[in-house]
Amino acid sequence: MTELWWAQIKSVVRLELRKTLFTRRGLWIYVLALLPLLLFSVHAVVVSHDRDRSSQLAARSQKHLTYQDLLAIKPDMTRQEVIDRLGNPPVRFHWRGQRPIKSGTFTNTFNEAYRYSDGTNDLFIDLSDDKVTGVHIRGGFNVSEDSIVFAGVFQFFYLRLAIFFGCLGIFMNLFRGEILDKSLHFYFLAPIRREVLMVGKFLAGVLATCIIFVTSELLQIFVFTQQLSPNVRDIYLYQNHGLEQAAAYLGITALACLGYGAFFLAAGMLFRNPILPAAVILIWESMNPFLPALLKKFSVIYYLKSLCPVEIPTPMGTPALLSLLVSNPDPVSAPVAILGIVIVAMLVLYVSSFQVRRMEINYTSE
Amino acid sequence: MNDRIVFEDVSKFYGEILGVNRVNLSIPPGVTSLVGPNGSGKTTLMNLMTGLVHPTRGRIHILGLQPNEPEKLFKILGYSTQFDSFPKGLTGFQFVSSFLRVAGIDSQTAEQLAWRAIERVNLVDAAQRNVAGYSKGMRQRIRLAQALCRNPRVLVLDEPLNGLDPLARAEMIALFRAVATDGCYVIISSHILHEVDAISDQVVLLSNGYVVAEGKIHDVRGEIREHPAQILIRCDRPRDLAARMMGSENTIEVRIHNDERGLLVKTRDADRFYLALNHIALNGIEIESVAPADDDVNSVYEYLIGNDNDNNEVLQ
Repeated sequence: MTELWWAQIKSVVRLELRKTLFTRRGLWIYVLALLPLLLFSVHAVVVSHDRDRSSQLAARSQKHLTYQDLLAIKPDMTRQEVIDRLGNPPVRFHWRGQRPIKSGTFTNTFNEAYRYSDGTNDLFIDLSDDKVTGVHIRGGFNVSEDSIVFAGVFQFFYLRLAIFFGCLGIFMNLFRGEILDKSLHFYFLAPIRREVLMVGKFLAGVLATCIIFVTSELLQIFVFTQQLSPNVRDIYLYQNHGLEQAAAYLGITALACLGYGAFFLAAGMLFRNPILPAAVILIWESMNPFLPALLKKFSVIYYLKSLCPVEIPTPMGTPALLSLLVSNPDPVSAPVAILGIVIVAMLVLYVSSFQVRRMEINYTSE
Repeated sequence: MNDRIVFEDVSKFYGEILGVNRVNLSIPPGVTSLVGPNGSGKTTLMNLMTGLVHPTRGRIHILGLQPNEPEKLFKILGYSTQFDSFPKGLTGFQFVSSFLRVAGIDSQTAEQLAWRAIERVNLVDAAQRNVAGYSKGMRQRIRLAQALCRNPRVLVLDEPLNGLDPLARAEMIALFRAVATDGCYVIISSHILHEVDAISDQVVLLSNGYVVAEGKIHDVRGEIREHPAQILIRCDRPRDLAARMMGSENTIEVRIHNDERGLLVKTRDADRFYLALNHIALNGIEIESVAPADDDVNSVYEYLIGNDNDNNEVLQ
């Protein structure tokens, strides 16, 4: 019997995958999945361009500068002190201007702007009449800062929006789409248990969403690490847990597809209009930080947040509500989180199995 | 129960709308036609039989199996629905073979069975074309191939001749008859009455969700006592025969046929009339043929349902 079910599931998966992955109706899901990739690709191009410019600037400097040299420049230093410390500037602008001294009277000034670089970070100095009036350091590419940005994009866009709505589009259509297309009877007329059909469709949905979203995540990680110089990349991947973080992101993406998929598959069987259940699930997931401890557990995001490898810091003065969304005050261990999502998904599928047996083909009422 | 398709007091309501009500049927092997006007409940009966909808009340057994067990039922039953939509992007061959694969049949066997079914419905040339490009008749035939592909014992066909040209109709009718001759159960819904007549071993007449009559057409006609039996007699001297007929107590009405080579007689008791006719025939009138003129689905339908859908005359 198990062998027959497996053969049936494979056939359903084959049919559904083809339908799900190659449909014009699902193009928006690809766009959603590839948006962060586009963002990181653009960022990588900008970083690469900046790095080249900083390297050229550093090469043109009189002295070999370090980051400490750049930090040593303070306001009110004299022009000579700056040149003594950093050498002649590789980039210099100057212009004449006026400065108010009393109301209605001005004095002439001689202004300059210098620019130095240590090869990674750029220093911008403003001088007026040979005195430093402003100092600004533009930091170059910083792995730890950028990995936090990566985590932010993953948690707040990819996980909560892209994967959420992507799963909505794919899983809701597994049954609802076929009812609207009036083609669900194709399956219902075959000698296959309805529960087996449901499992086949669910697995097809999980595979399709994983192919789309895990692949996109993998490409995002690739682009993110490719923008690092080789030695920094090695340090990030092998010493600073970069590889572990990458594996965690891929795993979380797959688990999100599984968890959200189960909910949306059930919703697609229960509701005619997908907007309402989608809104309810979205609100439920967003409300998770504010829910009592027990109710939190009946949510996908609760477990996914616990698995996220990089915690996003909340700066001082962040509103309490926003802090709650960002932080995870009550995380669960990774095994519990993984098991939690799997159990929640299985529970939802178990309940759905009753619905699929009761389903009728009555296209005219749709 | 294991050798019949049985409906026990089955009702189906779509919300407040009646689908069928209090249906009791016991369908034997052979071709059974469901006949009735649009909205009479033919498709609902078929959908109930195949588990696509569930009865609000009552029970259904298909050769001992229940419709809510598709994994068992569709091993012995094939259903060609009226739904004219298909999974996207499939060729005719893929449509049938995928259906077989979903049933758990291995690839090689599925291909063989699919080709055999496609051959039976004469669609081999178009089998590798996308179903989306098929004509209505071709779509009808590929649905038939899907229903036939597992060689089911029960074949349920909802308006199977719709969209087919006359030649294809004749081929399909021959196919249904052949399937029925093999001892299978063929349930057909149709509103083309002369075709029903040609195909059916028995009929189920439906009107407004109720079964109005069921059984062999001749038996059903015999039960309709409100309408006198009509008998067409072909003879050499129709006017003489008509004069003698008028003297018979069983005769209600006699009309000379338009071609002047026969007459149409209405009688309340066909058996007595035939006895009387033997005596009359002995008196020198040469009778060529005697045949019932309204012992067909068309007449039965006309008497019981007529053109008015509100006519719910039920046989006692």
